[in-house]
Amino acid sequence: MNDKCFDIGTIQAFLDGELAADVLEGVSHHVASCDDCAVFLAEAEEESAIAFSALDQEFNTLVPTQRLWTKINDSIQKEEKTFWQTVAAFFSNQTTVAFAGMLIVFSIFTAMINLESSDNAVDVTKNIPSDQSLAVPTVDLGIPVLPIKQDSPLAQNNKKTDIEKSALIASNKTDYRIIKTTFVKKEISPPRIVNSPKAKGQVSGPAPSENVPGEDSYIRTIATLKKTVDNQKDEVLKSSARFIFERDLAVSDDAIKKMKAQVRTNPNDEASKQILRASYQNKIDLLSSVADKTELMASLK
Amino acid sequence: MKPQMNIVEPRRKSEIFLILYSLVFLFLFANAFAQTGKVSRNENKIPAEKSILVDAKINISMCVSEGKVKVNGWERNEIRAFVSEGSRVGFEVRKKNEQTKTPLWVEVVGFETANNKNSGAEECLSGKEIELDVPRNSTVDIKGSASETTINSVSRARVKYISGDIFLNNIAQGIEASTFEGDVTVENSSGAMNLTTTTGNIVAFNVNPKEIGDIFKSRTSSGAITLQQLEYGQTEANSNSGSIRFTGAVQNGGQYNFGTLNGSITLSIPQNSSGKLDATFGYGAFDSELPLKNVVKPNTSKTQSLTAMLGSGDSTLNLKTFSGAIRIKNSNRR
Repeated sequence: MNDKCFDIGTIQAFLDGELAADVLEGVSHHVASCDDCAVFLAEAEEESAIAFSALDQEFNTLVPTQRLWTKINDSIQKEEKTFWQTVAAFFSNQTTVAFAGMLIVFSIFTAMINLESSDNAVDVTKNIPSDQSLAVPTVDLGIPVLPIKQDSPLAQNNKKTDIEKSALIASNKTDYRIIKTTFVKKEISPPRIVNSPKAKGQVSGPAPSENVPGEDSYIRTIATLKKTVDNQKDEVLKSSARFIFERDLAVSDDAIKKMKAQVRTNPNDEASKQILRASYQNKIDLLSSVADKTELMASLK
Repeated sequence: MKPQMNIVEPRRKSEIFLILYSLVFLFLFANAFAQTGKVSRNENKIPAEKSILVDAKINISMCVSEGKVKVNGWERNEIRAFVSEGSRVGFEVRKKNEQTKTPLWVEVVGFETANNKNSGAEECLSGKEIELDVPRNSTVDIKGSASETTINSVSRARVKYISGDIFLNNIAQGIEASTFEGDVTVENSSGAMNLTTTTGNIVAFNVNPKEIGDIFKSRTSSGAITLQQLEYGQTEANSNSGSIRFTGAVQNGGQYNFGTLNGSITLSIPQNSSGKLDATFGYGAFDSELPLKNVVKPNTSKTQSLTAMLGSGDSTLNLKTFSGAIRIKNSNRR
């Protein structure tokens, strides 16, 4: 080794091909004439070979190129879109979303109004035993109600229009009627029912209510309380108390149902009337207890 | 360098002071906030105890949020309140006697009234044990929720709970007790009674009217009602799905109205009892150990019922059950 020998950095750079052309030539000439540097270069070359062989796998690993990514993306885009993707794409537009939201709110609002109006149409057939008749109270407009049997043609023709039903009512004077109260309001329009002498004879006065005296008051009170309690019972009653409450309510309802049937069968059955009243009162007390509890809890907050 | 140092140092000082002031302010604010919320709590679990001189016929009102409550009547004209492991205690005088200037109406609250006026502290007492010693002639009015409440030897008691059992003993002039989840037990008391529970039982033993016209009323939804040695002119017991048991003498001229839907009604009365019996037992049964006269059973209804006479018919017995049994037992046999 002499003063002209190159250091390891230059040798390594020579092997890596990183030297400038003039230096590269100088190194080549020197290595050709200097045994020490030749050996040094050979060792360095050997080390590099070992290192490259060890890292061969890493160097040969396929790295996704931009072109590859583009291909992948193209393939994905070419795939058929799912239903939900289509929906998502549809709703990605803010204006569309706003319009859809408004439409949904409007629909819910309309549905609620419709439901409410249909709730007001009380189906009186629900509470009537199959083998019994029921006198329906007169409507607000003073038109009396005709009795119609359950198995009459009217009952069989529920799908008919209101006017058709009205006509049937006029022709079925002896039948008992079971209809919705909303229907009664509509039937005022056909004049032939009102003006018919036969119909007049049939419907000369309001049908007497078969309810036990005071029953209407019980029913109204229960309806009012139930509305209040239904909104509050989830908050006020724990699960165990809720279970007991529902069970007791079912007991009352069962007694009311059975005693009501008894009273309908025999309106002079005083024993059944007494139990019916007691059952109504129990139900009212039960519902009141929840309302009272709510009130007390609110006063303590 | 020297003039530069002179400029930097005061700035650093002011920054440090600003930070310190901020910290102190934050600490004070947090402390005040904590005080507002927890001012009524007894942090060290030291029992809170207070007393106040009052009129002999004092009205005491109190709200309880949790704990075991004991109210005891004593001979002093003084209220002593004790709360362990819970809130503090204080008295708010609502009304005073114009002549003696002693309180006529005191509200027992869960904070020290002298220190916490308008502080928003909780009014309800809470703790492991809440004890009140009150004058014997006092009227006690408690509402809230407690694990168990015992009121002993006072003039009147009014208790209204969301939940918790109520025991009332030696109440001289009437009781009004209601709990939505819990039992109500009354012993050795007198006056008008109104006992209500939703899911609990009612027990009344040796309870009498104080004045003519005092009524005994009891109502439960799903519990049983047990009445023993009652001497009221009018006794009412109603349950939705529980049973009713009455043991004792039937008062001459008394009116007894017992009703249940799913439970049974059992009367254990002396052989010489006298009354008009009106029993409706729906789909249930009827049985009497005492001889009945003038028995009338209407056959027109599926709902079973009968009317009959016991002895000379001095009292009225209205018994109604929808699907339970009515039993009249002879108490002399036991």
